[in-house]
Amino acid sequence: MPGPVAAPADKEDNFKPLPPTKPFQSTLRYPSSRKSIYDRNLNRTRVNESSLASFAYLFNTLITYHHSKSGSVSEIETRLNRAGYPIGTKLLDLLLYRQPPRTATRPTRILELLQFVHGTVWRALFNRTADALEQGTEKKNEYMIIDNEPLVNSFISIPKEISQLNCAAFVAGIIEGMCDATGLSTDGVTAHWAGEGDELWPGKTIFLLRFKESVVERDEALKAG
Amino acid sequence: MSGAGGNATQQLRLARHHHRNQRQSHYSHTSFTSTDNQNVRCSPFATYLPTNTPNRVVFALLIINKAGGLVYNRTFAPGLQKLDGNDYLILAGTFHGIHAISRQINPAPAAQHLPGYRRPPTTGLESLESSHFRLTCFQTPTGVKFLLFTSPEQPNTEVVVRRCYEIYGDYVMKNPFYSMEMPIRVEKFDRALGGYLVRP
Amino acid sequence: MSVYAFFIFDRHTECIYTKRWAPVPPPQQPPTTNGYARGATDASILARKALKAEDDAKLIFGTVFSLRRMVRQLGGEDDQFLSYRTAEYKLHYFETPTQLKFLMLTDTRVGNMRTALHQIWATLYVEYVVKSPLSPAEHPKGVGVANELFDGGLESFIASLFAPQ
Repeated sequence: MPGPVAAPADKEDNFKPLPPTKPFQSTLRYPSSRKSIYDRNLNRTRVNESSLASFAYLFNTLITYHHSKSGSVSEIETRLNRAGYPIGTKLLDLLLYRQPPRTATRPTRILELLQFVHGTVWRALFNRTADALEQGTEKKNEYMIIDNEPLVNSFISIPKEISQLNCAAFVAGIIEGMCDATGLSTDGVTAHWAGEGDELWPGKTIFLLRFKESVVERDEALKAG
Repeated sequence: MSGAGGNATQQLRLARHHHRNQRQSHYSHTSFTSTDNQNVRCSPFATYLPTNTPNRVVFALLIINKAGGLVYNRTFAPGLQKLDGNDYLILAGTFHGIHAISRQINPAPAAQHLPGYRRPPTTGLESLESSHFRLTCFQTPTGVKFLLFTSPEQPNTEVVVRRCYEIYGDYVMKNPFYSMEMPIRVEKFDRALGGYLVRP
Repeated sequence: MSVYAFFIFDRHTECIYTKRWAPVPPPQQPPTTNGYARGATDASILARKALKAEDDAKLIFGTVFSLRRMVRQLGGEDDQFLSYRTAEYKLHYFETPTQLKFLMLTDTRVGNMRTALHQIWATLYVEYVVKSPLSPAEHPKGVGVANELFDGGLESFIASLFAPQ
């Protein structure tokens, strides 16, 4: 029976040990300074600016994507809002962390939050404060943050057929995320054009914050002491 | 309750007041050096207003895409004949061809270039003079042509046309609602060009 | 400052006179190491050169003709095309009332050559070609233009213009 005898030899020949596993090599690319963003300190005192052009192209792509996926103006705005929301929740943590350790406090009152957004957040994002802060005249739970020329809209011209669209809805999403993260939740933050007929600031935008009734009630209760 | 509300409005007013101060200071030292400019904030269209450039007469700007199609056509000052839209399209196509031919008939001996470096590309028509106007053509590395019609006396037309390219790069190329190679209907581009080229 | 070429076109769009100063840039071709087809290529190079010169004249006329039309269209009927410039060369243009077209290609540093072209027309072309009793009224294929006097006069006139200072 030569067959069965030969078979084990064949098996021997076919047997190849698995190649030894290569040592793990990261494919992560490092900048020339060998420092990735994870090596940098979160707590930077000097403002480190990123390129406006890079942001513009990235934001451009974001809008093009959502524009192609949505059927209506409000849907684009909702999608942009949702894209900004997680930034807001994370940014709150980062900004509080960057404040001097002893004085860092989470805004717990509506007004504190508004001042925080108007000042600290705007400075961190756009290197300047927002242009105005107002309370809605009719409803007590409505507040407005006004920006004369939102940075995100710098290079964006809206075509006539969707002239309602304001791409600063992305920023509105950031604000909404921030409000929710502080516990002063809203019924939504929206961006609206307000520069119609304004020669100097045609891109004037109002961010409308509508706080939940319960939040307003609690705030008033706190104020009363 | 009313007291609390008063407190709120006061603080809001404070915020607004603070801002107004800031803005006034911006206006008072509007300068155009690169370092100051980053903190100066005024309307983006105001920065292009021609400041110390008298005698600037720019008649028109045409932009021709890389296929020879006219994508932008705007007149800033009277001085050229009025053509209808079709004639402008033909003119753009003709110029596109002439530009290519003017590269072909280059009689100059090939310029010396360092070995190992790419031969400098020959350019097409860059400037044309007639008794009534001067045409400055700037072709971008991507093949888009900017045609600037000015009075023959207008100085620094190369600088002007490059600035137009810059405005194009900002307001057309960074605009998510512009589709490439198509006619340019972009509001902020119109506004920025108007602010830069129209004499007040 | 240098001059590359000079052309005259008549009103039938025909090139009736050509003169070149700088050598035409040699056609790009790798140096042949084995010379077995040398004779044939030499002949074809010469033929191609002649063809290229002829084509160049046609291309130049086409360009100028289109630009002239464009200038009239934009600047009005009384507008005149004067010159254009690329980064490598400059083309000067002058048209007589009889629709003779005088063209000169120079390097880019040369200023306005309109008066020079006018002078060539008035003092050389009119004197030596138009007034020549042997010259025909029309010059098909350049007959009668390239006579000795005109040729020599043009040569010395250009030489005096572009003489090294």
